[in-house]
Amino acid sequence: MCYNTAQLLSSKLSGKDYTATDIASVVITGLSVVFIGLILLVLFVSIYGAIFNGAAKKKKAKEEAAKKAAEAEKAKTAVQQPKPEKPVSAPVIEDGIEEEIVAVIAAAVAAMSAQSGKKLVVRSVKRSVSQRDPWAAAGLADNTRPF
Amino acid sequence: MIDQFLSTIGDLARDSGVAGFFAEGGWKNIVMILISFLFMYLAIAKGFEPLLLLPISFGMLLTNLPGADMYHSEFWVYQTVGDNDHYIDYGNILQHGGLLDILYMGVKLQIYPPLIFLGIGAMTDFGPLIANPKSFLLGAAAQGGIFFTFLGAAVLGMSAAECGSIAIIGGADGPTSIYVSSKLLSNSDSIGVGTIALAAYTYMALVPIIQPPIMRLLTTKKERSIVMGQLRPVSKAEKLIFPILVTVVIALMIPSAAPLVGMLMMGNLLKESGVCDRIAKTAQNELMNIITIFLGVTVGATTTAKTIMTLSFAKVIILGVIAFSIGTACGILLGKLMCVLTHGKVNPLIGSAGVSAVPMAARVSQKVGQEEVPTNYLLMHAMGPNVAGVIGSAVAAGVLLSIVAH
Repeated sequence: MCYNTAQLLSSKLSGKDYTATDIASVVITGLSVVFIGLILLVLFVSIYGAIFNGAAKKKKAKEEAAKKAAEAEKAKTAVQQPKPEKPVSAPVIEDGIEEEIVAVIAAAVAAMSAQSGKKLVVRSVKRSVSQRDPWAAAGLADNTRPF
Repeated sequence: MIDQFLSTIGDLARDSGVAGFFAEGGWKNIVMILISFLFMYLAIAKGFEPLLLLPISFGMLLTNLPGADMYHSEFWVYQTVGDNDHYIDYGNILQHGGLLDILYMGVKLQIYPPLIFLGIGAMTDFGPLIANPKSFLLGAAAQGGIFFTFLGAAVLGMSAAECGSIAIIGGADGPTSIYVSSKLLSNSDSIGVGTIALAAYTYMALVPIIQPPIMRLLTTKKERSIVMGQLRPVSKAEKLIFPILVTVVIALMIPSAAPLVGMLMMGNLLKESGVCDRIAKTAQNELMNIITIFLGVTVGATTTAKTIMTLSFAKVIILGVIAFSIGTACGILLGKLMCVLTHGKVNPLIGSAGVSAVPMAARVSQKVGQEEVPTNYLLMHAMGPNVAGVIGSAVAAGVLLSIVAH
């Protein structure tokens, strides 16, 4: 794999003293080297893609199986002694905060939890009593964060 | 006293740039200045790649003002010292060069294009390509434009270095074109780096006009209507391995492509790692912008009247558009082949995005696809071949550099 394309041609092309065969070989070698290079990448990327994708699928299947088992267990106990379902506690919203704002905050939290993979819950929404404007604080944090 | 006044005024007039216009060949400078106005108009009013075309056209204006002495084409003449006939006297340039001479060293020494690639890497998401690695093939096919144009330029009787420089325009990648042509072309060639860059950036801006007719001509209505499914999500680990893998494979195979591919992938790793936020941001914004200014204005400055107003310039313009068209066609044709092989799962329109004008070419695929089926979203599928095209043209550049003597 570790070869130099120049070696494919007996000598480098220069000036105008080239023949039709030289040009044809440039076209053919050029295209084939580009294709060989990228086909190699296709192979490598496909292989590791399959490995990672397979691992992810396995993990997912395992999780799902565990979930199912837990549900079955739950169903069993539920049959024996029916318990009232625990209500999902709604977040405590301070007066004067619009629903739209809460929705935006919840969406941002959901996006963060999707990114980090941790399950995050909004428990309460309160006004903060910060002295500094949040944008200014963000700017300050951005410029003073160490390397 | 009046005499003295008049003679001083006369001297000033003789020394001024205006006198230069009346000197021998001075009319050519006037034509070039008018051309630079045209490019400024295209950049500002028509939005043709303004970030590059505007600095290029202003560089063109500066270099063609007689007497400004900001760029000296005579400094960049290759000299023969011993066995080395590819020698530029940089010491002389540092001592006597104008502002643009000094900045142009970054082009001639191949410093700016790889740094631009660093920024591009830091902005690119290779996710669609990792999710569908077969896109690499479309990115490779679209490089056909480069090699077939090499053939065309050879038929027109151009030198090997000129053939290579013109052909690379077909890669639809500005920095790559500048990288290759600045390495190949010498003063004995009839075209310059500026000519190649002007043609490359103009055609990149014209992608939405050049590509759609070719795409419609080569595909049937049924093929254009193919709706492609969603791409699989790509994990962070895959995105981290990708740049390292590509660098190792490509740099080992085609060492002369290493500066471009290496910097592209380093930029991408900085971004994907998530731990070098500050550096990634600098590469994407400040560094990239600074280099773009330097690159644009100096490449523009190489377009002096005597290099542009030649028959070769017309050849570059014609061969450039042919290179673009063949590249588009090659991508579409391989797309059609993949469509047949996958029993109609691949929309051939994504093939044209294999020319690396990112993200314009992918947007064109999306637009042409949506003309048939308004709910069809080909954009992410087209981004795969599009970013593969960037890697592909860097590889093709490496191949050209290792085949053609410079």
